[in-house]
Amino acid sequence: MPGFPTLQRIGDVKTHRFEEPVKKIYDGSDVTFFLTSLAYRDIMTFMLQLNRSVVPRKQDVDGTARVVTWPLKSKDVAYSDSVERLRALLTRLSKLVDDVPLDTGPRRFGNVSFRKWHQLVEDQRDNLLNECLPEWLAPAYPELASYLLGSFGSAQRLDYGTGHELSFLAFLGGLWKLGFFPEADAGVEERGIVLGVFEQYLSLIRKLIVTYTLEPAGSHGVWGLDDNSFLPYVFGAAQLAPAITESDDTPTEGSLPGAPEPSWVSKSNLVEKEKDKNMYFSAIAFIYDIKKGPFWEHSPVLYDISGINGGWGKINKGMIKMFNAEVLSKFPVVQHFLFGSLFRWEKDAEARPPPPTTHATSQPLRTPTAASPSTTRPGEAPWAGTPSQPPLGFVNGVTQAPWASRGPAPPPPRSGYAAAQRRTLPPLTENWSKHEQNRPTERK
Amino acid sequence: MINVCCRAIAQLRACRPIPEPQVRELCYKAREILIEEGNVVSVHAPVTICGDIHGQFHDLMELFRVGGDVPDTNYLFMGDFVDRGFYSLESFLLLLCLKVRYPDRITLIRGNHESRQITTVYGFYDECIRKYGSANVWRYCCEVFDYLALGALVLGATTDVPPAASDNENTQSTLPPEDEEVESEVLNANGDILSKTLRRRFAGLSMMSHHTNSSRISPAPDVDVPSPPDHPASSLPLQSSPSSQSLFTPPTSTTGAVLCVHGGLSPLIETVDKIRLIDRKQEVPHEGAMCDLLWSDPDEIEGWGLSPRGAGFLFGADIVRHFNHNNDLSLVARAHQLVMEGYKEMFDKTIVTVWSAPNYCYRCGNVAAILELGEDGSNGGCIARANGDQGRREPVGTDGSEGGSGVLWNLASPGRRYRVFEAAPQGTRGMPAKKPVGEYFL
Repeated sequence: MPGFPTLQRIGDVKTHRFEEPVKKIYDGSDVTFFLTSLAYRDIMTFMLQLNRSVVPRKQDVDGTARVVTWPLKSKDVAYSDSVERLRALLTRLSKLVDDVPLDTGPRRFGNVSFRKWHQLVEDQRDNLLNECLPEWLAPAYPELASYLLGSFGSAQRLDYGTGHELSFLAFLGGLWKLGFFPEADAGVEERGIVLGVFEQYLSLIRKLIVTYTLEPAGSHGVWGLDDNSFLPYVFGAAQLAPAITESDDTPTEGSLPGAPEPSWVSKSNLVEKEKDKNMYFSAIAFIYDIKKGPFWEHSPVLYDISGINGGWGKINKGMIKMFNAEVLSKFPVVQHFLFGSLFRWEKDAEARPPPPTTHATSQPLRTPTAASPSTTRPGEAPWAGTPSQPPLGFVNGVTQAPWASRGPAPPPPRSGYAAAQRRTLPPLTENWSKHEQNRPTERK
Repeated sequence: MINVCCRAIAQLRACRPIPEPQVRELCYKAREILIEEGNVVSVHAPVTICGDIHGQFHDLMELFRVGGDVPDTNYLFMGDFVDRGFYSLESFLLLLCLKVRYPDRITLIRGNHESRQITTVYGFYDECIRKYGSANVWRYCCEVFDYLALGALVLGATTDVPPAASDNENTQSTLPPEDEEVESEVLNANGDILSKTLRRRFAGLSMMSHHTNSSRISPAPDVDVPSPPDHPASSLPLQSSPSSQSLFTPPTSTTGAVLCVHGGLSPLIETVDKIRLIDRKQEVPHEGAMCDLLWSDPDEIEGWGLSPRGAGFLFGADIVRHFNHNNDLSLVARAHQLVMEGYKEMFDKTIVTVWSAPNYCYRCGNVAAILELGEDGSNGGCIARANGDQGRREPVGTDGSEGGSGVLWNLASPGRRYRVFEAAPQGTRGMPAKKPVGEYFL
């Protein structure tokens, strides 16, 4: 069997030293380090492993080749006990939503009752984990719980975005590393995780978003892929890619014969038809649920992708690249990621410099005015340009300052205005200060 | 230029971008006009104040339909023209064209999104690249952003709710009974009145003894200041009015000025004059007075607080009350925060948030609002500079009903008409061709 990399399990959980995960990413250069860290390696490995698992397979049954697909609710995917436990956990969390009535008081947008729900989950954390995880995992609770609790949006900002989705991926990855999921043939457990757990997680998230009108975190408005989610587009495209054998590479073009056309996303009736079978269409259907207006106008990026000719394999490959660039490489998203013993803030000795791809060069620089074709200096890694990205703002329906990265600063004095001592902000990056000097000179 | 401008306006009204060379010329011309404006532009009532637009072009058209077209209606837009929506470019360029064509009829002030750094993150940069294939247009627009004023001061607003356009013929019929005075009203897009609030009545309406300070607002450098009236304006009958109102218009009271900024106040700015000292022609800094004006939010706190946005501050009712008192303001109008009802008055009506992007981001389900302030005709059309001893005062404070500690007697707030409207119907927006996707998918 050729080795498609899978996330390494921890040898001996009993002697493993768990750590309370902590924040490590404070500025752009930390993002650069993150991209060569063990944590990054493990997240990417696990994501690709899950992705590959739902690509249709060519299987040999009694000498006849047949293609097996893995649509949502597929009868061919048997859920292990571990998967069932997590499904029970998510069901519990979903029931808690029904227990927290909406706040009817005045509000700006997000419903403050979400904070009650979040608090309830936090309070019952150990109970919930006790009920749903085996006892031998108890030492891992604090570490696992911080990823789990980070998965459901921000109670403070009443928003939800891809950073929270990433936290749930880490929760699952952590469980994988701890050997919570049983050993099985390649892809078997992973399919249970994607179709049984992750999709149910997305249902819970959609319920939270609709119930508490959670706002998009870090919304780019119409110019982002999706206001809230990313991974359903990755996994959903994989479900429709052409079938492979266990030894084939993950496809990068073509589609499963009979797969819905990418262009169907702009027709709500066709989306409706596909949404129960496929994660991509399920995510699109949610957009139709919450947005009013022409699809091409409120979702131009997805609309453009729907014109791609290379099939779902190509879309899948593009989505993975985009996930890497727009989620894992974006300061405002990953700044909230926490590092501990499962996802280590430690250099991966084997980390290869990411190839000078596409996304490093195709994105707007921090100050595109100051952009020059050769921003890379000799001896500097080619990807060094990537984190010179403007750190994006987290948003609360309101815009947050992209440079807001450090912890809370001391408030100005209560009385008096003028003497207010201003907080120190993170040092300006080179590009930014360069720009400051390059202020328009037309003033004269 | 006027012809060119009219053609561009027509094209942009049809939601079609204008060619790059025209954008360049327009932006150059706009900068010439904006550079002449002070950091705080003086605007005379009547004026219609608008909040965030965020590239929602069709909703901007709806706004003009509901509020009246330029130049028939005076407009003041409080920034955030761009980002998030699909038509930031068309929306901003149209407003800019209108500014060039009718500079005295439309005022544009800067929002936190009118910035290079923010637009590269929240969509306007991507939009320009997609629509023009290069960053040139984005660059031209950003150069204009640096010249936008930071605030505006609305002078000469009346305590009456302004006459509605449709009742021009018969102003009297809308007047409330003598013992009631409408302080604000809310109209829907068709002009039907949805609700009204009446002004509280106080013994000793013209409380002057409390207040002997003279104005701390000096004249804007860009405006001719009429000499202060030598008699209190509040109760004199009209001698002759240059306005179109009839002699039968009952006397109205002059109010304090209304400060319009995108975000809010700053701990570094104690007077409006301080704003005038800022060197504004630059990218929005990460901190400092200019940053705060564009980023801060009012909040139910005391004093100042940290903003969860990471820029600007939160400020409480006491801050606004004192700021208004010290500056002879009756109201701060600002935008910057989505409000489901389109507008939200806070802190005993000393500050209002106006939000003009309906169904924000295609999903928020909110209505939008604009705020109309009427012209005070009681002073022979003179703009009464706030000078501390004219104009009616009302208590603003902890309970507001009687004097006492914690209560300030601030200048009467202007009559306010809010028009709320919903997102424009989708109509016949054609579906565009799919554009080549980013390099991720090559």
